[in-house]
Amino acid sequence: MGAELPVVFDPKDYKSDLKPIWCPGCGDFGVLQAMYRALASVGRPPHEIAFVSGIGCSSRIPGYTTAYGFNSVHGRALPIAQGIKIANPDLLVLVAGGDGDGFSIGGGHLPHAIRRNLDLTYIVMDNQIYGLTKGQLSPTSPLHLKTVTSPHGAMEAPVNPLLYVLAYGAPFVAQGTPADMAGLAQIIEDAIRYPGFAFVNVQSPCVTFGQDDWQVKQHRAAMKTLESLGHNSTDLLSAMDKARSYGSELYTGILYKNPNPAPTYDAMVRERQQALTTGSPSPARILDGFLQK
Amino acid sequence: MSTKTRGIDFSKLSLKDALDLAILVEEEAEERYVELAHQMEIHRTEEAAAFFRFMAINEKKHGSELSERRKKLFGDAPREVRRTMIFDIEAPDYDEARAQMSPHEALTVAMSSEKKAYEFFVAALPHLSDPEVRSLFEELRQEEIHHQELVAKELAKVPATKDALGDAFEDEPLAL
Ligand SMILES: Cc1ncc(C[n+]2csc(CCOP(=O)(O)OP(=O)(O)O)c2C)c(N)n1
Ligand code: SF4
Repeated sequence: MGAELPVVFDPKDYKSDLKPIWCPGCGDFGVLQAMYRALASVGRPPHEIAFVSGIGCSSRIPGYTTAYGFNSVHGRALPIAQGIKIANPDLLVLVAGGDGDGFSIGGGHLPHAIRRNLDLTYIVMDNQIYGLTKGQLSPTSPLHLKTVTSPHGAMEAPVNPLLYVLAYGAPFVAQGTPADMAGLAQIIEDAIRYPGFAFVNVQSPCVTFGQDDWQVKQHRAAMKTLESLGHNSTDLLSAMDKARSYGSELYTGILYKNPNPAPTYDAMVRERQQALTTGSPSPARILDGFLQK
Repeated sequence: MSTKTRGIDFSKLSLKDALDLAILVEEEAEERYVELAHQMEIHRTEEAAAFFRFMAINEKKHGSELSERRKKLFGDAPREVRRTMIFDIEAPDYDEARAQMSPHEALTVAMSSEKKAYEFFVAALPHLSDPEVRSLFEELRQEEIHHQELVAKELAKVPATKDALGDAFEDEPLAL
């Protein structure tokens, strides 16, 4: 018999039968499509992928894929994903959610996920609003934005997600938009391939409750690829400098990629488990010991 | 062109690859129209949904014709061009869709998709070196013009209304 042909995956292999119920025109459709392409390019079979999310419109995304999905609790996608990765490091673990999910209720988990540096890919669909609950202010809403919870305009400055994750030491930080699906698919693919915590902020407009003047059409006109600007993605300070423009410029591509990836937490756990179990009785022998008593 | 394709070197495109690319373009458009039809159905926008289903059938027909041609010329020779390499060439952009869109708006979406496809083939032409591939792309470009004419005829028949339900969503709280 000849050598087995490599399995080639098609984006359709990652698409579930569940039909998205997002509003027509929602940015999340393009993000989902870019994810299918990225997953097909990476080529891991769906049963080797776990996709975890919180709660929100964007958090519905795992259900639209054929990967194992966990549409969990608002703000708690990261701790659950970390648990899954530690329990089964062979899985490719993806995490997704909204800006509300990730930077307000779940904001406390982010620095810890970053400092642990598990091999995860965290994709935030940043629409600068709470979509699912019908248009309240979110942590990334721009100053002065009028919403149902800020009828006279927001009085708080937005969180800068890019600067925030860079400051905590995230080794891979990128930004994309569904206005450039090819670019977004490439970013997600690179994030998945990166051996460590990879963060992708996707500016994914909410067509129903979001800002009329910051939709996919405006992204198309405003976006600047970091590649075209000659950005050096291994230079942390230059990445931070670009990240400062969050909210005024739409830079897309990889802001920062640590060229010397540190060991991941999941790899260290595996190593320690091996070291501690070497020479110790097997679980079967321990169980036998109990049963004999 | 860079935002529409990934990893395709047009100067090295063979006729087989070009046919496969064209088939995938139709397949992508067919799937997108089915998706849009579904989006319209769950938002009770029946007329636009019916039109998008009709467009999906058309795209499928074009795809099947191209597949037959490919089969005759190249049999089951393996495909080198993949879906991961193309992005919304003839498929309508997701952000063009709206809940409660009128038939006129749905037709306008189809028109801009046909224009997009036309522009794609026009932009690719200078990069092609194989004369057979060039004539295939010229043919495909012409077809897009023909499709535009068909859509334009339909557009002329329907009133240029904005949305199917007018102010039905006026009470929805929007970011102002
Ligand atoms: C513990 C808890 N608090 C509040 C909510 C209500 N809630 C559901 S989704 C959401 C925010 C949605 O915004 P975001 O996370 O940005 O996602 P989007 O819907 O915009 O994609 C809130 C506050 C909840 N489900 N659970
Ligand atoms: S409310 Fe906004 S975020 Fe939610 S599905 Fe609709 S457009 Fe998308």
